[in-house]
Amino acid sequence: MTGRWSAMLRDAQFWVPIAVLVGGIVVFVWIR
Amino acid sequence: MDPLAPSPLDPSRLRRLQLAGVACGFTAGAWLGAAEAPTKMVVLGLSPVVISLAMVVGVFLARWSLPALLRGTSAIGADVRQAPHLVVWAILAGCLWAVANTLTIYAIKDIGLSVAFPLWNANSLLGILWGAVFFNELRGAGWSRVAAVLGGAAMMCAGATLLAVASAAQAPAGHAARGVVAALAAGALWGTMYIPYRKAYLTGMNPLAFVTFFTVGELGMMSALALADRGGAALLAELSGARDVLFWLLLGGFVWVVGDLFQQYAAKYVGISRGIPLSNTNQLWGLVWGLLVFGELRGGAGATYAQVIGGSLLMALGAALIALASATGPEHRRWQEAAAREGQRYGIDPGVVRAGLAGEGAAGPARRRTWLDWALVTGATTVFVGLALVARVPDLRLGWGWVAGLTVAMLALLGGTGGLLWRTTRFN
Repeated sequence: MTGRWSAMLRDAQFWVPIAVLVGGIVVFVWIR
Repeated sequence: MDPLAPSPLDPSRLRRLQLAGVACGFTAGAWLGAAEAPTKMVVLGLSPVVISLAMVVGVFLARWSLPALLRGTSAIGADVRQAPHLVVWAILAGCLWAVANTLTIYAIKDIGLSVAFPLWNANSLLGILWGAVFFNELRGAGWSRVAAVLGGAAMMCAGATLLAVASAAQAPAGHAARGVVAALAAGALWGTMYIPYRKAYLTGMNPLAFVTFFTVGELGMMSALALADRGGAALLAELSGARDVLFWLLLGGFVWVVGDLFQQYAAKYVGISRGIPLSNTNQLWGLVWGLLVFGELRGGAGATYAQVIGGSLLMALGAALIALASATGPEHRRWQEAAAREGQRYGIDPGVVRAGLAGEGAAGPARRRTWLDWALVTGATTVFVGLALVARVPDLRLGWGWVAGLTVAMLALLGGTGGLLWRTTRFN
């Protein structure tokens, strides 16, 4: 894995949208 | 003084960039609001998820053909080679958009537009929070500008609430808690979607490159949700049965993309804390189309008109406050620091990062359009023309004079703001 990709995985800002997306999908599964 | 610190931008250049960004925010509002109009031509029993999917197909076609036309795929490829990791961020943002859009459909069904809209419209407040926490927005801005942005966003939320109450035809019965959760989740998704936007633009990526990959996530996630909701066979049958109205849905998607492109440039040049509220004026434009063209609220109670006038004034006033509180030199230097931090973290050429924030292109050879660009433009045009040929014009009473007037106003905004953006940034 190159530096940029590992930097992305270590970037806390990356995990905020991921967490919100997972939460959104969970809500979708719950309400449909 | 730190010798590695980025040099401050010339004040007159900063003012021009801010002016272009604010103009982009208002133009985005006009085009995003008008995107609802073609979808109102579809008055038949299509499921909301299918309507959303068809619009996203239009969005996909527009997002690949317009950037190819404006900048060319070779320039987009060069952008991606500078920062390939941003492709992942763009796809992630597209996924966030698709889930949010689908949740709003369920929220409207469960609690009605009047309650749902203000809940997800709070995305602008979340955008302000992310902008300040992650990207130094509003830092060094001075208390009066911070108060103007926060107060303006709050006024716009209040105005949006009044407009949504007035627009709601009826309050549906049903799963209140479910609807509230769906609307709040949509707001959180949309507010968070701007983190990838800002990340990309601080790092020097061109908005036209970002949206090309954004739409891959958008279409992929929307297709997955539609398949999960309807099943493959039922989805195909419904799309095939709707052949004669698909044009209107795709056209809605196309108009939406034009608005979204301006929204992207607003996010780039005035930041997400100001760009999101300004483009949220789309609700005003949607209301204008509904009132004047489709005759909505005709014969309504006096209280309804009071809500419409009051809500519109509040939104306009809030937007004006934000527009007048654009970033000055000290705040822009904080943006440059955030950009330098991003560039360092991801090993990006500091020249590219600096040029991106200054609205300039990175140095390099001029690029010509290739056969791929023309193939993309021709392919998208063919799909639109083909669907237009089989499209049915619904039997609706429309205010055609207002259609012409609003279309002229939108085209004037497109030409004026597009020209300003070209002169100021060359679409960088």
